[in-house]
Amino acid sequence: MKVRQITLLGHKDHGKSTLIGSLLMLTKSVTQTRINEAKKYSKKLNKDFEPAFILDSFHEEREGGLTIDTTRAEVLYKNTAFSFIDVPGHEELINNMISGASYASVALLIVSAKKDEGIQDQTKRHLFIARMLGIKKLIVAINKMDLVEFSEQRFMQIKDELSDFINRIGFRSEDVSYIPISAYKGENILDHSTNMKWYKGPPLLKALKETPETGRAKDDGALRIILQGFLNGKRNSVMGKVVRGSIKLGEKATCIIPLNVNVRIKSIVVRGKRVNSAKEGNSVVLGLDKEINQDVRGSIICGEAYCPIPTDNIRARVFLTKALGKDTTIKFNGMEIRCSIKPLSYIDPTTGQSSERNRLKGSSLIAIDAQLKLSRKIAAERFDDTQELGRFLVYTGTEFAGIGIII
Amino acid sequence: MIEQDLNTLEEKSIFILREASQRFKNIAALWSMGKDSTTMLAIARKAFLGKVPFPVIHIDNGIDFPETYSFREKLAKKWNLDLIVEKSEIKPDPIGSACCGANKADALKELMKERKFDAIIVSIRRDEHSIRSKERYMSPRDKEFRWNYKNQPAELWDDYTSKIDAGSHVRVHPLLDWNEIDVWRYIKKENIPVNPLYFSRNGFRYRSLGCTHCTVPVKSNAKTVDAIIKELESTKVEERSGRSMDKENEYAMQKLRALGYM
Repeated sequence: MKVRQITLLGHKDHGKSTLIGSLLMLTKSVTQTRINEAKKYSKKLNKDFEPAFILDSFHEEREGGLTIDTTRAEVLYKNTAFSFIDVPGHEELINNMISGASYASVALLIVSAKKDEGIQDQTKRHLFIARMLGIKKLIVAINKMDLVEFSEQRFMQIKDELSDFINRIGFRSEDVSYIPISAYKGENILDHSTNMKWYKGPPLLKALKETPETGRAKDDGALRIILQGFLNGKRNSVMGKVVRGSIKLGEKATCIIPLNVNVRIKSIVVRGKRVNSAKEGNSVVLGLDKEINQDVRGSIICGEAYCPIPTDNIRARVFLTKALGKDTTIKFNGMEIRCSIKPLSYIDPTTGQSSERNRLKGSSLIAIDAQLKLSRKIAAERFDDTQELGRFLVYTGTEFAGIGIII
Repeated sequence: MIEQDLNTLEEKSIFILREASQRFKNIAALWSMGKDSTTMLAIARKAFLGKVPFPVIHIDNGIDFPETYSFREKLAKKWNLDLIVEKSEIKPDPIGSACCGANKADALKELMKERKFDAIIVSIRRDEHSIRSKERYMSPRDKEFRWNYKNQPAELWDDYTSKIDAGSHVRVHPLLDWNEIDVWRYIKKENIPVNPLYFSRNGFRYRSLGCTHCTVPVKSNAKTVDAIIKELESTKVEERSGRSMDKENEYAMQKLRALGYM
């Protein structure tokens, strides 16, 4: 069955790991051994049973009470399989959060309703990043309702404050829903909570099950195959992944961009077998009608009809996890390309507002809209058109410094 | 246990193996003759159109089961594998487990010094152990084989780590997304040869394979792949429950991995 990837988002201590632990137990998706181990460990640390321990398995995580790295939990609910990606909420661990969240198509934000907790900067930063990663569907779980006497007023307060920001950063209202829960007590997770009769929507798992998958924005059949290199060194045999569209043997000629070479596909191999066609998602080996005497890694194959124009000048939104130094490169489809980045405007991820000058504290954990000049031409497209051709990682020296999407 | 789409899993594993072939100059794979590493080799044959293009390493402590040794010889010949058998010693390891795990790491270190591999393919899966679920598809190790689990690189958007410094290497994990039951379903679909120890004899079989000193069989009457799949569909017991190393010390796995044991 298809496993739906859901990323959790939210400030540390608002209950992400507790929620997953609860989900695992309520749906009986975890073995008794794991539950017992978590119980044993909670006792050892003199705590009441912590469902979060089922997931937080690094010993520093349990003893320090925080998630250090991303991890996944599989949950089966009414014949739908979910993989919940738990991510660290702490600011310093943002690289791990970005890595984990990037696999998801739906985001589940946890915000604590507890007094003095509530919406934090990190809550909003996570949402900003999720939107940049291309996530369109969002469920906001307002947690710890048991600690605010299940107050509808408190729920609405948080919902109203958040929905402004959520809309400003680009989520459509119809793609967002808000659910009051208590992860620790299991309220409104599997079943309707009897303590929150004022809430008329579905409990969390039902809402997740009912959230539709997002398809590709444009489906005009345009072909895009990203090439990884030559198979076993043979220059007329290329390996790659079809990221969009489909290809059939005997079709009209295709182009390798940015090499500007026309080729005919003489054979297609998918999963070890020769086939007549390949489609989106397939990893392929293509036999070509000629040898290519340039490096193909990072190039694309597209149909003659519509090919992106190779470019060394792109306009992108970049989220920085580190201040940019002098030595900037981007990693794009297997290539490392030196570049210069010129900020055009600065965006505060905690408000979604942009300005021409950097009014924010520091130069990391900020976003910029920038002009990038690359040291060579690439086959690229806007992120909203073909994600795989519109996204890159930013490195300063050998350190990961952020993510970028082409706008 | 959730049964995932095998084609999707296979495509991803093929993609990772091919990426590794482009990112690294000198790759090798670890092979324990277990179901996971053998499945990985079967997928590699598909990925590279018929032959496994990298050497395959068995770290041999001398006390594997006889069935394992004979399975090794047969399959290495059938699939024309470039097999390297590297001997490891048996002695207590630094954290006091009665297992030879860390000694296998020493043997691998020696081999790597000699052959200068820059990437090692290891067939671990996320669902095997909670510590393994923190791993990346390509995960760097330093010169001492240590896993800096506190500071893992960002991995997203089909981009993976290349080497971090000279003398270090990267672990490639093509089977990370696979569940135990997915591996068996794939073995059935593709008719992949299986170590006979996995099948029941006298009411017991090995669900997970280590060596003769630390592997304990489980009660089972499953004599075929189909029977194993049926058994897994209803089990509530962890796969590695017969592996004493996992139990001895709660964080044994984490410590051993951080020290460089695979």
